[in-house]
Amino acid sequence: MKPARFEYHRPGSVDEAAALLAELGDEAKVLAGGQSLVPMLSLRLAYFDHLIDVSRLDGLRGLTVDGASLRLGAGMTEAAVGADVGVARAVPLLARATPLIGHFQIRNRGTLGGSIAHADPAAEYPAVALALDAELEAFSASAGRRVIPAAEFFTGLWSTALEPDELLVGVRFPVWTGRCGFAVEEFARRAGDFAIAGVVVALELNGDDRVARAAIGMLGLGSTPLRAPAAEAAAVGQRAGELDGAELGRLAMSGLEDIPADLQGSADYRVRVGAELVARAWAAASAEAAGSDGVGVTAASAGAIDG
Amino acid sequence: MTETATAPTPPTRYTGSRVPRVEDGRLLTGHGTFVDDIQRPGMLHACFVRSPFARALINEIDASAALALPGVHAVFTAADLNPDVHEQWYSSYGPKVPDTPRPPLASGEVRFVGDPVALVVAENRYIAEDAVELVEVDYEPLTAVADYRDAQTSGILVHPKYPNNVAGGLAGPPPQVVEAAFASAAHIADETFYQQAYAPVPMETRGMVVEWSADTDELTIWAATQTPHEVRAFGARLLGLEPERVRVLMRDTGGGFGQKVVPMREDMCVMLAARKVPAALKWIEDRRENLMAAGQARHEHGHARIAFAADGTILAAGIEHTQDIGAYPTPWPVGAAAAVGLLFPGPYKVPLASWSTTSLFSNTAGRHAYRGPWQFESVARELLLDIAARDMGLDPVELRRRNMISRDELPYPNPAGMPPYDHSSPLETFELALKMLDYDAFRAEQAAARAAGRYLGVGTSTYIEPTATGQEYYACEGAVLRVAPDGRMTVIVNGGSSGNSLETTVIQLTADALGVPFDNVDTIQGDTAVTPFGSGTAGSRSGSATAGAVGEAAAALRAKLAELASPRLGVPPEDIEVADGRAQVRGSGQSSGQSSGQSLTYADLAGPDGVEASATYTAKAPMLWSNATHVCTCEVDVVTGKVTLLRYIVGEDVGPMINPNIVEGQIAGGTVQGIGGALLEHMVYDEDGNPLASTFVDYLLPTTTEVPHIEYGHMETPAPGPGGHKGAGEGGAIGAPPAVINAVADALSPFGVKITNLPASPAALVALLTEAGH
Repeated sequence: MKPARFEYHRPGSVDEAAALLAELGDEAKVLAGGQSLVPMLSLRLAYFDHLIDVSRLDGLRGLTVDGASLRLGAGMTEAAVGADVGVARAVPLLARATPLIGHFQIRNRGTLGGSIAHADPAAEYPAVALALDAELEAFSASAGRRVIPAAEFFTGLWSTALEPDELLVGVRFPVWTGRCGFAVEEFARRAGDFAIAGVVVALELNGDDRVARAAIGMLGLGSTPLRAPAAEAAAVGQRAGELDGAELGRLAMSGLEDIPADLQGSADYRVRVGAELVARAWAAASAEAAGSDGVGVTAASAGAIDG
Repeated sequence: MTETATAPTPPTRYTGSRVPRVEDGRLLTGHGTFVDDIQRPGMLHACFVRSPFARALINEIDASAALALPGVHAVFTAADLNPDVHEQWYSSYGPKVPDTPRPPLASGEVRFVGDPVALVVAENRYIAEDAVELVEVDYEPLTAVADYRDAQTSGILVHPKYPNNVAGGLAGPPPQVVEAAFASAAHIADETFYQQAYAPVPMETRGMVVEWSADTDELTIWAATQTPHEVRAFGARLLGLEPERVRVLMRDTGGGFGQKVVPMREDMCVMLAARKVPAALKWIEDRRENLMAAGQARHEHGHARIAFAADGTILAAGIEHTQDIGAYPTPWPVGAAAAVGLLFPGPYKVPLASWSTTSLFSNTAGRHAYRGPWQFESVARELLLDIAARDMGLDPVELRRRNMISRDELPYPNPAGMPPYDHSSPLETFELALKMLDYDAFRAEQAAARAAGRYLGVGTSTYIEPTATGQEYYACEGAVLRVAPDGRMTVIVNGGSSGNSLETTVIQLTADALGVPFDNVDTIQGDTAVTPFGSGTAGSRSGSATAGAVGEAAAALRAKLAELASPRLGVPPEDIEVADGRAQVRGSGQSSGQSSGQSLTYADLAGPDGVEASATYTAKAPMLWSNATHVCTCEVDVVTGKVTLLRYIVGEDVGPMINPNIVEGQIAGGTVQGIGGALLEHMVYDEDGNPLASTFVDYLLPTTTEVPHIEYGHMETPAPGPGGHKGAGEGGAIGAPPAVINAVADALSPFGVKITNLPASPAALVALLTEAGH
């Protein structure tokens, strides 16, 4: 389990990293936290002549919140995302999804951008980004800065809309305000394993307890992270307390393609689990929204940080 | 919770107490010394070319590109290494058993994915792995026997010399013995149980550094092993060397559990290759190799039957057992399987029993020893008892109470061919564990939960196991005790500790045997050049065997000290008492204070050379019976199939404990492995014989989040061996799987679900629930 020979580059800036990517093209791979890439190299399941290590670039760090959005540097570690009270307050789903990513040693190195750019269909951050319609900021030497909507970003198994010379530099998440509720439900064989299925739910209630908007993201149920548009549409305008979670689960599972089947379970099994997780996440998010004071997320949920 | 049921043993200071482990300081601070820590001048690194096919002919091996890579020293194939094998057999079985094939490298045909085909030697492991990719092997793939259950009918032979892929079989009393009982039974439980392949998965993989000194004909081996003396004996035979010219060293070994109890094929290759390279040769197995090629265990099924009278009394029991032995099992697997049949009746009053066992080859990794190798007897029996109880409308606990052997009824015959059970406490540990749970309270909690739509369950498992065998090879353990001129003691034994704290154990025993403070005793282990023979960590023997060896060596040392003290105290040796760190005239009443005419310290007697005594202990009893009951409670999510363990209780009897911390550590380790086997671990192959779980992404070990706090209840029934101590090493791994499965089945009993296949994965449970219409 030793990787084949590669050349290691540690650029000093985002511009230098982009220049290297432009120069080396397909022979190079960006190394961030290395939590997926390095095992693949060590198992010799992947070979690259050049690794461009962006893990120490200050230009990929940092966090800014304005009223409408939270922007995180792509190089922020998952542990940092999970521990940040500002993140928990602005985008509770990020904070609540973080403890489900691997183990804390993995989160200490793994990065937000690395997880999203790797685009594993069972990963948590891609599903959150997709559910919340995040914007992915790419940068290249040739085209400069480019914003890619999450809905267009995940193009297939481990593949994204990033061009070979593009580096993911930041992610902008919309901040939901009002009477909102959020929930993450995931099922894995063991804590920290790749999820068999997972669901993230965000919803907002209006003054008479009807669903003003709903976002349901799913992981582990296809070759990319997925939304559940039929379930979302069915929910909007309804009284949250009157919605049948099981029906939402069925709607969310309807029309799924490329459902993985592996050692841990068949496609049918994943659908059964996925439908149940939709119901459970919807119930949890609804309860939270109903109990919300409408100003922001509750203190209890803001405190649900990586532990 | 401790209950002692017998006459107290003589007072001791350390034996029986929770002395902190002397190993912990270095291990917990990252300063253990494992085989990969060994560095030698100019050391070279080995890596195996392994078969990507479950079965294929090897037409040609072209190593020229690999050899051309800078830094590559050699590429060895079967033609280079296999002819050098002088003798190849394990001491515990001897050369005469009808052993299964075990060539160092695959020759002519590969027989499982991972089968070692060539050995690359290079300056470092990176280059060696680069070179492995450059070795061109022309394989001609053949259809494989991927599942041993097809082995007798597939028409494909794993080894041409074994018709129908049968490596052998054994049988006890034949089915006719029990037929009348079954014919007259009021109720019969009859199921076929299947257990998946899983493995020890030690934290430290296998590994070895071998250095050949051609000028002196001496071989030095640093090994990750449970038994340095067997590595020496095996290596000497393999290479045709005198054992005295082979030195084996080990310090820390990060778990063995049977996988490191004897050298395997890769070890043979490294020993053979070391004589052909100009420097020490290191091989450290990586995790993928370990999961793919180090071997598998547990893969078996059995048709199990129990006949009951109307009141639930057992009339007879029978099992027909079949096990997968893979392509190259280690050691000979046929004999070991007899224990499944012999122990199937378990700690119950079973008047009649029949059994048979068959070992079948397949094109998968070879079967090897694993902590409680016979544990299928408990899986089959304990699962069947729960199924029988449900069918008869009895509580599984009540059914067991009507049949379990209590201490007062011992000795009690085993109808399958074992010597009678003795010096144990099955019913007592059963009641102890149930009391710790508060069984009736749990049943009430379960009923309330069910009413609320939640599914809780409780399962028990009771077993009895032979430990510390008196079988010739494993009966034997030597010890040397040395008093330094300053009075400090050293105890020298074979060692082979792979986490089981033999250092702490022998220091405790020595301190007590000679009445000296624990901190005044050192131990030397794991170097065959200076340690006496011992057969190592195997068969739950080390506690008893080292207690015997230290006890006998201490008696010899006390005699020597008495001889030395005799002229100075002016009385004959037999009038001198050696105890509490001193020699004094018997009955002189001197209890403490300075050396005087009537009392001499060991330092007074040691002289400039010190004093030394040695002894070799040989176990007399054929076995010492340990027993335990595991009780597990769980909750099952009937939508996802997820099992959450709630409480885990072990009531056990390993006799007087030398160190309860170490006993509980042994129970915990085995129990966690058993929980893994029940719920998570699965060394699964596809239909072509490709291993699908060769990394930790797919091979799921239990972790702290899956394992509940384990609660221990101790009973201490002494055995007729040194100190009354019995073996504690294997029981956890035997008792846990049935307790967990029974708990899951109990939780799902409202759905009429019956679990006969392991593991109880969430998807498997959902499939059963779906089948049952839920």
